[in-house]
Amino acid sequence: MWIALVITHGLLAFLLLGAITHQVVSVWAPVRAAAGNFVARFRAVGSANYVNAIIVLYCATAALGSVIYTNYRITARLTLEQGHYWKSYGAFELKEHFIAIGLALLPAYWWFWRQPLDAKEAVTRKLLTTLIAFVVWWAFLAGHVANNIRGLGT
Amino acid sequence: MSANSRFGVFAVTFAAVYAAAYYLVLINNWPLFSYGPATGEWTLFNRAASAGPTMYWYGWIATSAIVAAIAGLVACYLPGNLGRRLWSGLAWLVPLCSLAAIAHLLSGYFTH
Repeated sequence: MWIALVITHGLLAFLLLGAITHQVVSVWAPVRAAAGNFVARFRAVGSANYVNAIIVLYCATAALGSVIYTNYRITARLTLEQGHYWKSYGAFELKEHFIAIGLALLPAYWWFWRQPLDAKEAVTRKLLTTLIAFVVWWAFLAGHVANNIRGLGT
Repeated sequence: MSANSRFGVFAVTFAAVYAAAYYLVLINNWPLFSYGPATGEWTLFNRAASAGPTMYWYGWIATSAIVAAIAGLVACYLPGNLGRRLWSGLAWLVPLCSLAAIAHLLSGYFTH
């Protein structure tokens, strides 16, 4: 069961990573003209359309992660400790704290992305999105590395 | 701030206070409850499980969320326009500082 949960957690995290990356790129480098190549089309997405999906995916991924975390605490974390993988261990410790703080940003994130967008709050919107993107990327990479060290079902 | 509704004031206050509270809760270990994953025990506050490791993370989130929710409610019901003068940038600045402080706190793992 734990393997199924970890894979589902990873898939949700992957969807979240894609959505938040699209959004953060589009807020930092919006396309003004008609999108041509792949990179321009990547930047040209409607940022506001991603907000609800990102919030739902963040909550679902964090909720599933918090369930898996109980198993991590008594299995994978011991592997990291016994193998002296201190950087990976520390990265995962940071992940838990970053995710917890990211959760608290979601109400403000939703508020500043509500339609119609308030032009005066563009900087706050952009930096909230960037902070959430940083948290999601950190969590994804730290989780991925820890999972690679421990392995599935070992 | 330009957030002209109570929810805007609440959301900004919640993000800022939660981030600051989480750091304080973490360094002082003030969880609302603790969990022993090996035994399945839930206990109030920071009581160690009878066997195996004890997890405080859920309790730290709960403590911080309660503190932040109270602060958010107080801010959005402040008399006059006090809460609405709140700078919206606090919603990202305080969490950013909190992330940096936690990274500094755990930096030993990266120099181990």
